[in-house]
Amino acid sequence: MRLLVVEDELKMASLLRRGLVEEGHAVDLARTGDDALWMARAVEYDAVLLDLMLPGIDGVEVCRRLREAGVWSPVLMLTARDAVEDRVAGLDAGADDYLPKPFSFAELLARLRALVRRGAGERPIVLEVDGLRLDPATHRVWRRDAEVELSAKEFALLEAFMRRPGQVLSRLQLLEHAWDYAYENRSNIVDVYVGYLREKLGRDSIETVRGVGYRLST
Amino acid sequence: MSGMPIRLRLALAFTLALAAVLAAVGAFVYLRLGDSLSEQLDDSLEARATALSALVRNGGQLPSEQEEGFARLVGRSGSTLLTPGEVTRGRAGSFFLARRGARLLVTPIERNGRRLVLVVGTSLDDREEALEALLAQLAIVGPLALLLSAAAGYLLAAAALRPVEAMRRQAAAISSERLDRRLTLPGARDELRRLGETLNAMLGRLETGLARERRFVADASHELRTPLALLRTELELALRRPRPPAELEAALRSAAEEVERLTRLAEDLLVLARADDEGRLPLRCAQLSSDELLEHVARRFAARAAEEGRKLEVAADGTELVADRLRLEQALGNLVDNAMRHGAGTVGLEARGSNGCVELRVSDEGVGFPPGFLPRAFDRFSRTDEARSGGGAGLGLALVETVARAHGGTAQARNGEHGAVVSLTLPVDAE
Repeated sequence: MRLLVVEDELKMASLLRRGLVEEGHAVDLARTGDDALWMARAVEYDAVLLDLMLPGIDGVEVCRRLREAGVWSPVLMLTARDAVEDRVAGLDAGADDYLPKPFSFAELLARLRALVRRGAGERPIVLEVDGLRLDPATHRVWRRDAEVELSAKEFALLEAFMRRPGQVLSRLQLLEHAWDYAYENRSNIVDVYVGYLREKLGRDSIETVRGVGYRLST
Repeated sequence: MSGMPIRLRLALAFTLALAAVLAAVGAFVYLRLGDSLSEQLDDSLEARATALSALVRNGGQLPSEQEEGFARLVGRSGSTLLTPGEVTRGRAGSFFLARRGARLLVTPIERNGRRLVLVVGTSLDDREEALEALLAQLAIVGPLALLLSAAAGYLLAAAALRPVEAMRRQAAAISSERLDRRLTLPGARDELRRLGETLNAMLGRLETGLARERRFVADASHELRTPLALLRTELELALRRPRPPAELEAALRSAAEEVERLTRLAEDLLVLARADDEGRLPLRCAQLSSDELLEHVARRFAARAAEEGRKLEVAADGTELVADRLRLEQALGNLVDNAMRHGAGTVGLEARGSNGCVELRVSDEGVGFPPGFLPRAFDRFSRTDEARSGGGAGLGLALVETVARAHGGTAQARNGEHGAVVSLTLPVDAE
């Protein structure tokens, strides 16, 4: 695997490189966030090991900018900061995993393998389909730059649509994604909530596909 | 009393005060009424005496019994009504006296050349009755008024204290987790609002203090974790597969370096924490001379300087000072370590005494501090980006300042002609 290690503590960086190279990986080192940004854009790394505390732009910001730039290499954050807020900030910025220091090298390798198994497909932090934007972390939705207030259930339903753009979803599928077992297939709750969403997002935002179900208009 | 709620105590005090006032007013009214009734009686007695005197002088007879009272003429020998002494006194001039539940007026009078006294009297029963009726009314109205006002006082006190209770409940809900919350202040600009403002200001100070504490703990744990992470990774990597002795030795050396770094960090943290606990770092002062102190510090770094090809120069004027040798060595050691690590060229240790102060200075010939770093040079965990990668924790200069302050002195960091200059200025006698 080709790996990028972003770490400003020189000793840690060279230790990581030594250990990873011994495992047969190709490792590049970056000392600052700026270096990390151009290197990750230039080469499609299989994974990026990113320290949170960096001179200049910090790890969270590096991660956010990478995702914004459409770099989808899996990011594993390594940091000595382990407060819950730090972990949440890191993961919500687009990191795929978070490993607090001091860590076991064996665990680091296992996590890297798991990350690479998941693949480097697009995993945007904010879902965007045709003028609609949905941020799962902050629970906010915008329609052409105007924020739309949605209830928790409406939000869950819209997220189910936006994760499958262009796909026709049956009532049963929608029920399975946004409701639990307490709701029966018979009830028309899905139709009711699709009605609410249309009210808030526009009549033609969700198409009815006769006899099959609904589809998010694109 | 002290166990009682304030509203009860207030109502009770109010009631007691009111009872005293009511009693005083009652007594005053009672006495005034008695007096004015007596005056009325006396006036009517005088009027009757004048009328009857005129009647008698004109040879008339005294009416035997009158509605308003009785009237008698009494001779020198006295009667059942008056003693002879009183008759004598009455012949000299009129006077009042009370006898057998009646009030009498004795006035001199002459009839057929005989000097007699005229006694007019009236019963005191009416007066007594009026006074008793007043007393009865006071006895009913007084306690009733007292009871009503006590209840009103209690309710008023309770109403006045309700915002206090509301504030108490809010304050109870503020925990160390939610220190950003504040008490809602009452609208009126009164004592309660001032109390609320004072409490809010106190909460503000607590919040800043706690935030500083948390940041310190977070920074400290970050700094402790970094060498620990290095240590762990280093040792784990060394053990992952069989390695030649040279590689193992290198790993052990690197691990030892990290242990050294951890030890220094722990020592600095301990000193800083102790300075925090007691407001000031406790010192164990002794007489020492500046040249000996600097030589000692320089000797500690001699081997390392030789290894790195750097020069250490000591220039001290031998000023005697009373200070904590261990702490000063720790502070100067931090400075020399910084100069070796981040500076370049010769490291200079100087000591110069002047008017009751001694300046201990460590300088090097490197590039100096980045200008943006100087204002926060002595802040805990603040360090240059370059020092961060080099493994510095940002506690060295903070410790230098703490030690200088503990000695009643100051610490300064600046860029000199050739590189970084950090100095401690201490009074010669720290005690």
